[in-house]
Amino acid sequence: MMILLTIFMMGLGSYAMRAVFILLLSNRSFPPSALKALEYVGPAVMAALVMTMLLSPEGGSAPGVNEWAGLVTAAVVALVTRNHIYVLTLAMAVYWGVGYLV
Amino acid sequence: MLSDPNSSEPNYLRRGFLDALILVIPAIPFALVFGLAVRESGVAIWLGWSSSPIMFSGAAQITLITLLGEGASIAAAATAALVVGARHLFYSFSMAPVMQRQPSWFRWFAPYMLVDQVFALCVGKQDLPAADFRRYYLAAGMTFWIFWMTFTALGLFVGPVLPPGLDITFATPVLFMGLLVTTIDSWQKAAVAVFAMGVTFLLADMPSRSGLLVAALAGLVLGLVLERFRR
Repeated sequence: MMILLTIFMMGLGSYAMRAVFILLLSNRSFPPSALKALEYVGPAVMAALVMTMLLSPEGGSAPGVNEWAGLVTAAVVALVTRNHIYVLTLAMAVYWGVGYLV
Repeated sequence: MLSDPNSSEPNYLRRGFLDALILVIPAIPFALVFGLAVRESGVAIWLGWSSSPIMFSGAAQITLITLLGEGASIAAAATAALVVGARHLFYSFSMAPVMQRQPSWFRWFAPYMLVDQVFALCVGKQDLPAADFRRYYLAAGMTFWIFWMTFTALGLFVGPVLPPGLDITFATPVLFMGLLVTTIDSWQKAAVAVFAMGVTFLLADMPSRSGLLVAALAGLVLGLVLERFRR
Protein backbone atom coordinates (compact mmCIF):
# COMPACT_ATOMS: atom_id res chain seq x y z
CA MET A 1 0.00 0.00 0.00
CA MET A 2 2.84 2.35 0.86
CA ILE A 3 4.45 1.52 -2.47
CA LEU A 4 1.28 2.24 -4.44
CA LEU A 5 0.99 5.56 -2.61
CA THR A 6 4.63 6.30 -3.40
CA ILE A 7 4.10 5.56 -7.08
CA PHE A 8 1.06 7.85 -7.12
CA MET A 9 3.01 10.67 -5.46
CA MET A 10 5.81 10.16 -7.97
CA GLY A 11 3.28 10.28 -10.78
CA LEU A 12 2.02 13.62 -9.48
CA GLY A 13 5.62 14.82 -9.16
CA SER A 14 6.46 13.73 -12.72
CA TYR A 15 3.42 15.50 -14.11
CA ALA A 16 4.05 18.62 -12.03
CA MET A 17 7.63 18.98 -13.26
CA ARG A 18 6.54 18.68 -16.89
CA ALA A 19 3.52 20.94 -16.52
CA VAL A 20 4.70 23.71 -14.20
CA PHE A 21 6.07 26.26 -16.69
CA ILE A 22 3.65 25.32 -19.48
CA LEU A 23 0.68 26.05 -17.21
CA LEU A 24 2.09 28.91 -15.11
CA LEU A 25 3.38 30.87 -18.09
CA SER A 26 0.37 30.20 -20.32
CA ASN A 27 -0.98 33.75 -20.03
CA ARG A 28 2.25 35.66 -19.66
CA SER A 29 3.61 37.49 -22.64
CA PHE A 30 7.30 36.78 -23.03
CA PRO A 31 9.53 39.80 -23.60
CA PRO A 32 11.84 39.25 -26.62
CA SER A 33 14.84 38.83 -24.32
CA ALA A 34 13.12 35.95 -22.48
CA LEU A 35 12.24 34.26 -25.77
CA LYS A 36 15.90 34.53 -26.79
CA ALA A 37 16.94 32.92 -23.52
CA LEU A 38 14.44 30.10 -24.00
CA GLU A 39 16.01 29.24 -27.33
CA TYR A 40 19.11 28.08 -25.47
CA VAL A 41 17.23 25.71 -23.14
CA GLY A 42 16.66 23.11 -25.86
CA PRO A 43 20.29 22.81 -27.05
CA ALA A 44 21.65 22.93 -23.48
CA VAL A 45 19.41 20.22 -22.03
CA MET A 46 19.52 18.02 -25.15
CA ALA A 47 23.32 18.11 -25.20
CA ALA A 48 23.48 17.28 -21.50
CA LEU A 49 21.01 14.42 -22.04
CA VAL A 50 23.03 12.93 -24.92
CA MET A 51 26.17 12.94 -22.78
CA THR A 52 24.27 11.46 -19.82
CA MET A 53 23.15 8.58 -22.03
CA LEU A 54 26.77 7.82 -22.89
CA LEU A 55 27.83 7.64 -19.27
CA SER A 56 26.95 4.49 -17.41
CA PRO A 57 23.91 4.71 -15.09
CA GLU A 58 26.22 4.35 -12.11
CA GLY A 59 28.18 7.37 -13.32
CA GLY A 60 31.89 7.67 -13.74
CA SER A 61 32.64 5.44 -16.70
CA ALA A 62 33.81 7.35 -19.77
CA PRO A 63 32.37 6.62 -23.24
CA GLY A 64 34.46 4.28 -25.38
CA VAL A 65 36.15 5.11 -28.69
CA ASN A 66 33.25 3.54 -30.63
CA GLU A 67 30.74 5.73 -28.80
CA TRP A 68 32.71 8.92 -29.49
CA ALA A 69 33.11 7.90 -33.15
CA GLY A 70 29.38 7.19 -33.51
CA LEU A 71 28.43 10.45 -31.85
CA VAL A 72 30.76 12.59 -33.98
CA THR A 73 29.50 10.82 -37.11
CA ALA A 74 25.91 11.55 -36.07
CA ALA A 75 26.70 15.25 -35.58
CA VAL A 76 28.55 15.59 -38.91
CA VAL A 77 25.95 13.67 -40.94
CA ALA A 78 23.13 15.69 -39.37
CA LEU A 79 24.97 18.93 -40.13
CA VAL A 80 25.62 18.01 -43.77
CA THR A 81 22.47 16.10 -44.79
CA ARG A 82 19.82 17.08 -42.19
CA ASN A 83 18.41 13.62 -42.88
CA HIS A 84 17.93 11.46 -39.80
CA ILE A 85 17.75 8.19 -41.64
CA TYR A 86 21.31 8.85 -42.86
CA VAL A 87 22.28 9.88 -39.34
CA LEU A 88 20.96 6.63 -37.91
CA THR A 89 22.46 4.25 -40.48
CA LEU A 90 25.89 5.90 -40.82
CA ALA A 91 26.43 6.60 -37.12
CA MET A 92 25.37 3.09 -36.09
CA ALA A 93 27.59 1.57 -38.82
CA VAL A 94 30.57 3.56 -37.49
CA TYR A 95 29.67 2.67 -33.89
CA TRP A 96 29.47 -1.05 -34.63
CA GLY A 97 32.45 -0.99 -37.03
CA VAL A 98 34.78 0.78 -34.62
CA GLY A 99 33.52 -1.39 -31.77
CA TYR A 100 34.40 -4.45 -33.82
CA LEU A 101 37.89 -3.15 -34.63
CA VAL A 102 39.01 -2.01 -31.17
CA MET B 1 11.93 15.64 -38.97
CA LEU B 2 13.12 12.06 -39.20
CA SER B 3 11.10 11.47 -42.32
CA ASP B 4 12.32 12.50 -45.74
CA PRO B 5 12.81 16.28 -45.49
CA ASN B 6 12.17 16.73 -49.22
CA SER B 7 8.69 15.25 -49.25
CA SER B 8 5.97 17.75 -48.46
CA GLU B 9 4.08 15.58 -46.00
CA PRO B 10 0.94 17.48 -45.03
CA ASN B 11 -0.30 14.88 -42.57
CA TYR B 12 1.41 15.65 -39.27
CA LEU B 13 -0.36 12.83 -37.42
CA ARG B 14 1.33 10.38 -39.73
CA ARG B 15 4.67 12.15 -39.50
CA GLY B 16 4.59 12.21 -35.72
CA PHE B 17 3.80 8.51 -35.66
CA LEU B 18 6.60 7.58 -38.07
CA ASP B 19 9.20 9.77 -36.37
CA ALA B 20 8.32 8.34 -32.97
CA LEU B 21 8.47 4.81 -34.35
CA ILE B 22 12.14 5.27 -35.25
CA LEU B 23 12.86 6.33 -31.66
CA VAL B 24 10.73 3.49 -30.26
CA ILE B 25 12.90 0.72 -31.67
CA PRO B 26 16.15 1.54 -29.80
CA ALA B 27 14.10 2.04 -26.61
CA ILE B 28 12.78 -1.55 -26.66
CA PRO B 29 15.68 -3.05 -24.65
CA PHE B 30 15.28 -0.30 -22.04
CA ALA B 31 11.56 -1.10 -21.64
CA LEU B 32 12.32 -4.81 -21.27
CA VAL B 33 15.04 -4.07 -18.72
CA PHE B 34 12.49 -2.16 -16.68
CA GLY B 35 10.30 -5.29 -16.58
CA LEU B 36 13.28 -7.26 -15.34
CA ALA B 37 14.05 -4.61 -12.70
CA VAL B 38 10.49 -4.93 -11.40
CA ARG B 39 10.77 -8.72 -11.12
CA GLU B 40 14.12 -8.53 -9.34
CA SER B 41 12.95 -5.82 -6.94
CA GLY B 42 10.43 -8.05 -5.19
CA VAL B 43 7.72 -5.40 -5.69
CA ALA B 44 4.45 -7.01 -6.88
CA ILE B 45 4.64 -7.01 -10.67
CA TRP B 46 1.31 -5.28 -11.29
CA LEU B 47 2.35 -2.64 -8.78
CA GLY B 48 5.72 -2.14 -10.43
CA TRP B 49 4.13 -1.92 -13.86
CA SER B 50 1.50 0.56 -12.64
CA SER B 51 4.32 3.12 -12.51
CA SER B 52 4.32 3.04 -16.33
CA PRO B 53 0.90 4.68 -16.79
CA ILE B 54 1.13 6.67 -13.55
CA MET B 55 4.65 8.12 -13.95
CA PHE B 56 5.42 7.50 -17.64
CA SER B 57 9.07 8.34 -17.02
CA GLY B 58 11.45 5.48 -17.81
CA ALA B 59 14.64 6.46 -16.01
CA ALA B 60 12.76 7.71 -12.94
CA GLN B 61 10.71 4.49 -12.81
CA ILE B 62 13.81 2.29 -12.94
CA THR B 63 15.48 4.40 -10.25
CA LEU B 64 12.45 4.20 -7.95
CA ILE B 65 11.80 0.46 -8.34
CA THR B 66 15.47 -0.55 -8.17
CA LEU B 67 16.13 1.46 -5.01
CA LEU B 68 12.95 0.15 -3.35
CA GLY B 69 14.05 -3.37 -4.24
CA GLU B 70 17.48 -2.74 -2.74
CA GLY B 71 15.80 -1.85 0.54
CA ALA B 72 16.32 1.91 0.41
CA SER B 73 13.83 3.98 2.36
CA ILE B 74 10.82 5.26 0.42
CA ALA B 75 12.00 8.83 0.99
CA ALA B 76 15.45 8.07 -0.42
CA ALA B 77 14.10 6.21 -3.45
CA ALA B 78 11.53 8.93 -4.19
CA THR B 79 14.11 11.70 -3.85
CA ALA B 80 16.52 9.99 -6.23
CA ALA B 81 13.73 9.39 -8.77
CA LEU B 82 12.64 13.03 -8.55
CA VAL B 83 16.20 14.22 -9.18
CA VAL B 84 16.44 11.86 -12.17
CA GLY B 85 13.18 13.32 -13.49
CA ALA B 86 14.05 16.95 -12.82
CA ARG B 87 15.31 17.51 -16.39
CA HIS B 88 11.62 17.70 -17.33
CA LEU B 89 11.55 21.14 -15.71
CA PHE B 90 13.74 22.32 -18.59
CA TYR B 91 11.43 20.71 -21.14
CA SER B 92 8.44 22.45 -19.57
CA PHE B 93 10.25 25.79 -19.62
CA SER B 94 11.36 25.34 -23.21
CA MET B 95 7.86 24.37 -24.39
CA ALA B 96 6.02 27.18 -22.55
CA PRO B 97 5.90 29.69 -25.47
CA VAL B 98 4.71 27.21 -28.11
CA MET B 99 2.04 25.90 -25.72
CA GLN B 100 0.57 29.40 -25.36
CA ARG B 101 -0.90 29.02 -28.83
CA GLN B 102 -2.57 25.72 -27.91
CA PRO B 103 -6.06 25.16 -26.48
CA SER B 104 -6.28 24.75 -22.75
CA TRP B 105 -7.12 20.99 -22.84
CA PHE B 106 -3.90 20.37 -24.72
CA ARG B 107 -1.82 22.46 -22.29
CA TRP B 108 -3.09 20.23 -19.47
CA PHE B 109 -2.76 16.95 -21.35
CA ALA B 110 0.53 17.49 -23.21
CA PRO B 111 2.81 17.53 -20.13
CA TYR B 112 1.79 13.96 -19.29
CA MET B 113 3.42 12.87 -22.56
CA LEU B 114 6.47 15.15 -22.40
CA VAL B 115 9.07 12.37 -22.28
CA ASP B 116 12.63 12.70 -23.61
CA GLN B 117 11.75 11.42 -27.08
CA VAL B 118 8.69 13.64 -27.49
CA PHE B 119 10.68 16.68 -26.38
CA ALA B 120 13.56 15.81 -28.71
CA LEU B 121 11.18 15.49 -31.66
CA CYS B 122 9.02 18.53 -30.91
CA VAL B 123 11.57 21.10 -29.73
CA GLY B 124 12.55 21.72 -33.35
CA LYS B 125 8.92 21.87 -34.51
CA GLN B 126 7.92 25.04 -32.69
CA ASP B 127 7.53 27.06 -35.90
CA LEU B 128 4.76 24.79 -37.22
CA PRO B 129 1.18 26.12 -37.31
CA ALA B 130 -0.47 25.42 -33.94
CA ALA B 131 -2.79 22.67 -35.22
CA ASP B 132 0.03 20.84 -37.02
CA PHE B 133 2.28 21.07 -33.98
CA ARG B 134 -0.50 19.62 -31.84
CA ARG B 135 -1.13 16.73 -34.24
CA TYR B 136 2.56 15.96 -34.48
CA TYR B 137 3.01 16.10 -30.69
CA LEU B 138 -0.07 13.94 -30.00
CA ALA B 139 0.89 11.32 -32.57
CA ALA B 140 4.46 11.09 -31.28
CA GLY B 141 3.31 11.08 -27.64
CA MET B 142 0.60 8.46 -28.08
CA THR B 143 2.91 6.23 -30.12
CA PHE B 144 5.50 6.35 -27.38
CA TRP B 145 2.88 5.85 -24.68
CA ILE B 146 1.41 2.72 -26.26
CA PHE B 147 4.89 1.33 -26.82
CA TRP B 148 5.98 2.00 -23.24
CA MET B 149 2.84 0.41 -21.69
CA THR B 150 3.12 -2.66 -23.90
CA PHE B 151 6.83 -3.33 -23.68
CA THR B 152 7.25 -2.65 -19.96
CA ALA B 153 4.43 -5.20 -19.44
CA LEU B 154 6.11 -7.63 -21.84
CA GLY B 155 9.38 -7.21 -19.95
CA LEU B 156 7.72 -8.52 -16.79
CA PHE B 157 7.34 -11.90 -18.42
CA VAL B 158 10.01 -12.29 -21.06
CA GLY B 159 12.92 -10.30 -19.63
CA PRO B 160 15.47 -8.82 -22.04
CA VAL B 161 15.13 -11.26 -24.93
CA LEU B 162 17.23 -9.26 -27.38
CA PRO B 163 20.69 -10.73 -27.96
CA PRO B 164 23.22 -8.80 -25.87
CA GLY B 165 25.62 -8.61 -28.84
CA LEU B 166 23.21 -6.50 -30.88
CA ASP B 167 23.56 -3.19 -29.15
CA ILE B 168 20.79 -1.02 -30.60
CA THR B 169 20.27 1.18 -27.55
CA PHE B 170 23.06 3.48 -28.77
CA ALA B 171 20.67 4.57 -31.54
CA THR B 172 18.84 6.77 -29.01
CA PRO B 173 21.79 9.11 -28.25
CA VAL B 174 22.66 8.99 -31.97
CA LEU B 175 19.20 10.19 -33.02
CA PHE B 176 19.08 12.74 -30.19
CA MET B 177 22.44 14.05 -31.39
CA GLY B 178 21.00 14.38 -34.90
CA LEU B 179 17.92 16.19 -33.58
CA LEU B 180 20.13 18.45 -31.44
CA VAL B 181 22.31 19.43 -34.42
CA THR B 182 19.30 20.31 -36.57
CA THR B 183 17.99 22.72 -33.91
CA ILE B 184 21.31 24.60 -33.82
CA ASP B 185 21.20 27.66 -36.06
CA SER B 186 23.92 29.87 -34.59
CA TRP B 187 27.45 29.52 -33.30
CA GLN B 188 26.18 30.58 -29.89
CA LYS B 189 23.89 27.55 -29.70
CA ALA B 190 26.66 25.28 -30.91
CA ALA B 191 28.95 26.62 -28.17
CA VAL B 192 26.20 26.11 -25.59
CA ALA B 193 25.68 22.48 -26.68
CA VAL B 194 29.40 21.64 -26.62
CA PHE B 195 29.79 23.34 -23.25
CA ALA B 196 26.80 21.50 -21.74
CA MET B 197 28.18 18.17 -22.96
CA GLY B 198 31.58 18.96 -21.47
CA VAL B 199 30.12 19.94 -18.11
CA THR B 200 27.98 16.76 -18.02
CA PHE B 201 31.09 14.71 -18.77
CA LEU B 202 33.06 16.36 -15.97
CA LEU B 203 30.19 15.90 -13.51
CA ALA B 204 29.63 12.22 -14.36
CA ASP B 205 30.17 11.20 -10.74
CA MET B 206 27.32 13.29 -9.37
CA PRO B 207 24.48 11.09 -8.07
CA SER B 208 21.13 10.44 -9.80
CA ARG B 209 22.11 12.15 -13.06
CA SER B 210 22.16 15.50 -11.28
CA GLY B 211 25.18 16.50 -13.37
CA LEU B 212 22.74 16.87 -16.25
CA LEU B 213 20.83 19.57 -14.36
CA VAL B 214 23.94 21.56 -13.50
CA ALA B 215 25.20 21.24 -17.09
CA ALA B 216 21.91 22.35 -18.65
CA LEU B 217 21.81 25.39 -16.33
CA ALA B 218 25.45 26.19 -17.06
CA GLY B 219 24.71 25.93 -20.80
CA LEU B 220 21.75 28.28 -20.44
CA VAL B 221 23.87 30.83 -18.57
CA LEU B 222 26.57 30.64 -21.25
CA GLY B 223 23.89 31.18 -23.90
CA LEU B 224 22.72 34.36 -22.15
CA VAL B 225 26.30 35.64 -21.88
CA LEU B 226 27.00 34.93 -25.57
CA GLU B 227 23.71 36.54 -26.52
CA ARG B 228 25.01 39.86 -25.15
CA PHE B 229 28.05 39.60 -27.39
CA ARG B 230 25.83 39.38 -30.44
CA ARG B 231 24.60 42.94 -30.04
